[in-house]
Amino acid sequence: MSNAEKENNHSGLDGIIEQTGIDIKDGRYPLAITNNPELYQLELRRIFGRAWVYLGHISEFEEPGDYARRYIGEDPFILTRDENGELHAFLDSCMHRGAQFCTAENGNTSHFRCPYHGWTYKNDGTLQGMPHMSEAYQDLDADEITLEEACLETYQGLVFGRIAEEGPSLEAYLGDFTWYLDVLFGATEAGMTVIGEPHRWESSHDWKTSADNFSGDSYHVLTTHQAGLETENLSKGPWEELNDFPAASYLACTDRHSMGYYLSKDEETFMGYPEEISEYLNPTLSAEQRELFGRSVFHFGTVFPNMSLIHGIQSGGWGGPWACIRKWNPRGPGTTETTSWWLVPKEFADDESFLSDSHRGWESLSPGGAFESDDLTIWEGISDSSGAVTHELRNTRGNMQQGMGAMTDEVDTIEDSLHGPAEVTSKGLYFDERNSRTILQSWYEMMSDSPEMEGEP
Amino acid sequence: MSSLPVSKDETPVDVETQHSVEQFLFREADLLDEFALEEWLRLLDDDILLEVPIRVARHPGSERPEFSDETNYLREDYEMIRERVGRLEKEYAWSENPRSRIRHVIGNVRVIESTETELTVANNQHVFRSYGDTADHDLLSAKRHTVLRRPDTNGDGFSIGHRTVYLDHTILNTKNLTLPLL
Repeated sequence: MSNAEKENNHSGLDGIIEQTGIDIKDGRYPLAITNNPELYQLELRRIFGRAWVYLGHISEFEEPGDYARRYIGEDPFILTRDENGELHAFLDSCMHRGAQFCTAENGNTSHFRCPYHGWTYKNDGTLQGMPHMSEAYQDLDADEITLEEACLETYQGLVFGRIAEEGPSLEAYLGDFTWYLDVLFGATEAGMTVIGEPHRWESSHDWKTSADNFSGDSYHVLTTHQAGLETENLSKGPWEELNDFPAASYLACTDRHSMGYYLSKDEETFMGYPEEISEYLNPTLSAEQRELFGRSVFHFGTVFPNMSLIHGIQSGGWGGPWACIRKWNPRGPGTTETTSWWLVPKEFADDESFLSDSHRGWESLSPGGAFESDDLTIWEGISDSSGAVTHELRNTRGNMQQGMGAMTDEVDTIEDSLHGPAEVTSKGLYFDERNSRTILQSWYEMMSDSPEMEGEP
Repeated sequence: MSSLPVSKDETPVDVETQHSVEQFLFREADLLDEFALEEWLRLLDDDILLEVPIRVARHPGSERPEFSDETNYLREDYEMIRERVGRLEKEYAWSENPRSRIRHVIGNVRVIESTETELTVANNQHVFRSYGDTADHDLLSAKRHTVLRRPDTNGDGFSIGHRTVYLDHTILNTKNLTLPLL
C-alpha cells in the first residue's frame, strides 16, 4: 500500500468515526463500525491504549505473589501483588528479547523467570539477574531494566489498568458512576470477594455489542430471553413483587457509563440476600445509597469500554442473589473472549446454602446458562452481517432512537436523590436507549482523538 | 474435584459388562445428537448431579487445582436439567434454533470403579458442532466420569446417577454450552 493510499484509508476511518458522532445526535449510527478490521486496530490504540480497563478484584490478590494473567486490549499483562503488598501489572514481555514468561492463568510466585535466556525479575518488576551476569553484563545498569508496567488504580476493590502514562485519574474517569459502584461493590462492610475461577469463552461477536447490551438493554429480554423467562416451575423470589414493571425499571447514565436497575417498593428487598444482610451494611453508605440497595432487585451496567456488571437476583427464579463482573476482551475484529467472575459479599462467603443458590444465579448467565446462551447466537449474527459491504457502500444506519424527542410519552426524568447523581429515567429500560447512545458517545469521544481525555485532571 | 483420579491398570468388570456399558453410552450419545432430550431425561436418576467444572491453565507443580472445586459452567440437579430440556424445546430458545448439528464420538470407555450397585465409567469424547448457514464447526473435547446405577432385578439397562464433564478447554471455543454438547 502506498503512503497516499494509507492516508486515504486513514481519512476513510476518521470519516466513519466523524459520521458516528453526527449520527448519534439523531439516535443513529453506521452499522459498519461493528466488526470492521481497520477500525478495530484504531480501537486497540485510541480506546484500549488510553482508557482505564478493568483488570481484576483485590480479593483475588490477597497474598504477596498472587498473580493472574489479564489483558488490556489484546496486550497480556500480569497483575500481581509484590512482597511489600503493592499491586502491579506488568506486560508479559521480557526486556531482553520480548519473550513471554507467564503461561499460567494464575498462581503465586515471588519471581518471574524468562524461559528464553533466563533473565529473572522480582514480582515488583525489577531485574533480579540473569545467567552469566557478572561476565556478560559488566557495564549494564541493572536498575534501569524494569518490566513495562501499566498504571494501576483501584476503586471499591476494582483494579483498573491503563497503558497511557498520562490521563485522568480513575475516579475522574469513573465520574458520577462511583456513586453506583459504592452500592454495587461496597454495600457491606467487608466488601465483595471473588469465588473460584471465572467462566471464559470465545465467540465471534464484537466487544461493543456486549458492552452495549449490558449497559441497560432490557428491551431485548422480551424477545431474546422469552424461553428463559417462561420457565414457570422455579420460584421467582423478589421479581414477584414487581407487579408494576416495567414501571419499576430505571436507566441511569453518566457522561461515560451506564446502568439499568429494577426497584421494589419494599425497602428490605436487598436483592434477595438473606436477612442478615441488614446487619452487614457498610456505614459509609449514604441514606440514599442504603435505600437504593434495600429496594434493589437487579442491576446491570457497563463501565466503558469493556467492563460490565450484574448484581441482583436472577429473573425467572434461576437462582441468586449473585454479583458478576464481565470483561469483553477484544481478540481480533469480530472476536471477543468473555470472562465472567462470580462475586459475593464476604460476609456470606462461607455460607454453603447461600453459595449454592448464588452459583445457580451466576451460572444462568454462563455460556451454558438459560439466558446467555441465547444472546451469543444473536450477537454472532450481528457481527457477521455488520461486516457486509452493503452497509459500507450504502452507509446503512442502525437505530437507537428510543426516548428521543416525541418517540414516547412514557419515560419521565426523575429528580430524586434516591437515584444518585446520574441522569435517570423511569421505564428507561424499555422505552429509552440513552444507554446505547451514552456508550457509543464514549466510543466516539475516544476514537475521534478528543483532547478532553488528555486534559482532564 | 481438583484432579482426575489416577487410572487403574485393570478393568474390574467382565467383557459382558464392558459391552453393555459401552452400548449404553453409545445409545445415550445418539439421543443427545438427535435432540431426543425427553427420552434422554428418562435415563437420569432423580438425585442426579451434572457438573462441568471450570478448567484453568496451570504451571506444572502448582498447588492450585486444575479443575475448580468451587465454580462450574454447569452444576445441575434433576429439576434444573428438566427445566433446561423444556427451555430448549421452546421455539424461541435461540441458542438451539436452528438446532446445532452435533455428533458425539465416544472412546476409551473404561470402568474405573465397580460396586454391587454402581459402576463409575470414564470415557473420552470429541463432540462436533456446526450451526447455521456456514462451513465452520467447533470441536469440544472432554473426558466424562459417569456413575451408572445397575438395574434392579426387574429393570434393564442402566441409569445415570452422577456425571462430571472434564473439558479440555480453559477458554471455551464455542458460543454456548447447551445440554446436547455434554
